[in-house]
Amino acid sequence: MNFTMKNATKWRHFTSAVSILLMVISIFMVATRGLNWGLDFTGGVVSEIQLDSKITSSEIEPLLNSGLNQEVSVVSAGEQGRWVLRYAVPENAEQAPSIKQLLAPLATEISVLNTSIVGPQVGQELAEQGGLALLVAVLCILGYLSYRFEWRLASGSLFALAHDVIFVLGFFAATQMEFNLTVLAAVMAILGYSLNDSIIIADRIRELLIAKPNKPIQDINNEAIAATFSRTLVTSGTTLMTVGALWLLGGGPLEGFAIALFIGIITGTWSSISVGTSLPEFFGLRAEHYMPKPITDEP
Amino acid sequence: MFAVLYSGNYSTTPEITGGEYGALTMRKPNKQRLLNHYPTWKYVVLVVTVLVMMLSAIPTWYGENAAVQIAAKSTQVPSILVLQQQLENRGIDVKRIDQQENKTVVVLQKESQQTAARTVLAEVINDQANSKSQLTLALEPAAPQWLQSMGFSPIKLGLDLRGGVQFLLDVDIDQVFKAQGEQLSDELRQQIRQEGIRGARVEASGVDGLIVHLPDTEANRAVRKFIRQSYPQWQLTNGSGAGLKLALKDDEKTALRNLTVQQNLQTMRSRIEELGITEALVQRQGENRIRIELPGVQDPAAAKNVIGATASLAFYSVKEPGTGSTMEMKDKDGHPVRVSRKPVLGGDHIVDARASFGEMGMSEVNITLDHAGGKIMSDFSRHNIGKAMATAFSEYSRDSEGNAKQTSSIISVATIQSQLGNRFRITGAGAMQDAQELALLLRAGSLTAPVTIVEERTIGPTLGAENIENGFAALALGLGMTLLFMAAWYRRLGWVANVALVANMVMLFGLMALIPGAVLTLPGIAGLVLTVGMAVDTNVLIFERIKDKLKEGRSFAQAIDRGFSSAFSTIFDANFTTMITAVVLYAIGNGPIQGFALTLGLGLLTSMFTGIFASRAIINLVWGRDASREVRV
Repeated sequence: MNFTMKNATKWRHFTSAVSILLMVISIFMVATRGLNWGLDFTGGVVSEIQLDSKITSSEIEPLLNSGLNQEVSVVSAGEQGRWVLRYAVPENAEQAPSIKQLLAPLATEISVLNTSIVGPQVGQELAEQGGLALLVAVLCILGYLSYRFEWRLASGSLFALAHDVIFVLGFFAATQMEFNLTVLAAVMAILGYSLNDSIIIADRIRELLIAKPNKPIQDINNEAIAATFSRTLVTSGTTLMTVGALWLLGGGPLEGFAIALFIGIITGTWSSISVGTSLPEFFGLRAEHYMPKPITDEP
Repeated sequence: MFAVLYSGNYSTTPEITGGEYGALTMRKPNKQRLLNHYPTWKYVVLVVTVLVMMLSAIPTWYGENAAVQIAAKSTQVPSILVLQQQLENRGIDVKRIDQQENKTVVVLQKESQQTAARTVLAEVINDQANSKSQLTLALEPAAPQWLQSMGFSPIKLGLDLRGGVQFLLDVDIDQVFKAQGEQLSDELRQQIRQEGIRGARVEASGVDGLIVHLPDTEANRAVRKFIRQSYPQWQLTNGSGAGLKLALKDDEKTALRNLTVQQNLQTMRSRIEELGITEALVQRQGENRIRIELPGVQDPAAAKNVIGATASLAFYSVKEPGTGSTMEMKDKDGHPVRVSRKPVLGGDHIVDARASFGEMGMSEVNITLDHAGGKIMSDFSRHNIGKAMATAFSEYSRDSEGNAKQTSSIISVATIQSQLGNRFRITGAGAMQDAQELALLLRAGSLTAPVTIVEERTIGPTLGAENIENGFAALALGLGMTLLFMAAWYRRLGWVANVALVANMVMLFGLMALIPGAVLTLPGIAGLVLTVGMAVDTNVLIFERIKDKLKEGRSFAQAIDRGFSSAFSTIFDANFTTMITAVVLYAIGNGPIQGFALTLGLGLLTSMFTGIFASRAIINLVWGRDASREVRV
């Protein structure tokens, strides 16, 4: 099936169906597997250490497990000899032995590169704050959209927005990658970016509706997408390139952030041309919604 | 560079048209305007803004050097040459040493040698001058002097880029409320006994409430009167029967919370000063949290001991040796003072302490005690007129092995001149500054709220440097690819977008350095990278519109004019929504996330400026009069 202006509507409806299917899968993923909350939200201790590159995790783990009286997760941090340790805050933090003391039997130079200890109470608060931030941002955006666009058109952008965020969350649930504060920041950035794409198409739809009131809405939508298509590709392309650079070179701390943004930008572009335009059609958007209301002569 | 680009398309006959339909409709001549023309002042504004921002951005390029500051008169410090030699002997590489009248700054080659350098310097200086000088770790801008003298400084780096320790402390305000309630209930019981009311009972309810069970309305009236007179900060409501319910008023609670947190902030600042870190950050976060950032500190244990100390205060009667059970404490200058083993009064009875000027123009400290404290003090002072009373300040802290230790010192010794009530003053504390210090200490000992460390993060210096390297490598790659792509895709217009993009980056760095309190974090660098990708969107939107207009058969100049004006509302809409998320993130987020929100938000502003204003200015100059219709963009 080739892409022409004639079958564009079919294409759009097909991609919308794919979007909705992806959304359902994502929600299912989040519901069943849940997110792998990072230290910022759960509280606990995360430490990155550098050891002799010959030492393996099977040597480190038993030492730490017995020393701290709990299961310690030891994950390689990409580079050889670098390990990320994760464990709950010991109950008696003052008396707990330090990592250096525990690993002394390995007889190697140990350097602790970073350590973060977050109390469970702080984690709880951060999770609440993050949720609040997301909510406030969505409400503000909702307010702006309803002021700027007619509700049928705004509904498309909003649905696209929800689609993007849910898909990214679904991805993090499916892969069980760590969901920390920086990933949350990326999700917030996706909120802005996804809307960016949808608004630019919505702007065009509105412009064309006013200019050509007699054209069917399907054709107007196709025309708006076609007119903005090269812009969409160029902007998404440049942003994907820079975010890709971040993914490639940004190192461990920014990996989750870059991946979340990368996916968010792709789905943001996808959703703005699929569900973003199909939903207003479904709700029956017509040109008269943007015509100035005739002033009645009657008092 | 544009001379090459516009050859072949430049028309020497300037075109005057009357707006979009100038050729078709009969517009009045006075409505005509010059197409694509910016007045000179706009260019002046543009060039000056970009230049200032560039100057502001340059010091960041140079970065900062680790340094050790010696705060002492230059006469007390050995000559620069001696310092240099001593440091070099120990294998510490010195970049330069600046000596001014009251300050000597030793700038080092390597940040890792900062602590070692301080140890060496401390030895050298104290050997020679025989006095203790203040040595602090610092960072000195590496930019040339003339830039620094213009007031430009590098962007401040967050802890995740510099390395250091960060603590989040929780101040337990409930304890302060509870103490207030306990003190009031003691007072009430005493009052009830004095009034001869039988069958009354006082009990605590919740953290900051009291329930008073009373037998009859007469008793109720008497208690009400007492509370209104002596404790107006408590809210009175009727309880069951003739009883009363008491709760701290909301504004009193807010006032107490603010006072307690501020007090703790002060205490933390003065304790951290002892650690000798000039750029430490101590600030309030939320209602009852304190965030402490100690850049450059590698060992959280030492810092923790200093931070975790608790302070208390007590008044003692000064005794002659051999009179009953006594103990010895040292005062500030190290002289021993013999005092009674049991304190007369604990610091928890102090309600307020303020420094002021007394009748003779001498500084004094006015102390207000609570009711119960006033009674004790009044009883004690009546029998001890003419005798001395000492105020001792104790701090409980942990040493590096984790053992608790108490350090007590006498902060003032004063003679009791007359019987004291619940308001009295200490005179002869010295200069006004000393009086203020004493008042601060008195308050510090009174508002005791337990402080616990709820979050602790340590970032090693190598990791910080690695983060910077990675972040900027990503930025360079992202920027390079974007520049190449734009040049290839839009050709000549692409170069305009590229100039705008580079100007955007320069302005963003300049703004970050100029705004006080703006901190660059690792997520902040991610925000910069994202900005690069999104900033070209403004230009892309405009260029696509120009393409459309060209397809409709307009001349290049007309297409430029229409392209810019029709793209503006779209650009504004698109940027505004991202701005909303940036503002929300900044308002609600914490440290590193705020850094991201800051670069994202500022990036949007600068990209609007360069994308619309600067690129239009360039395009106007180069193609503003181009009337040709066969232009490929």
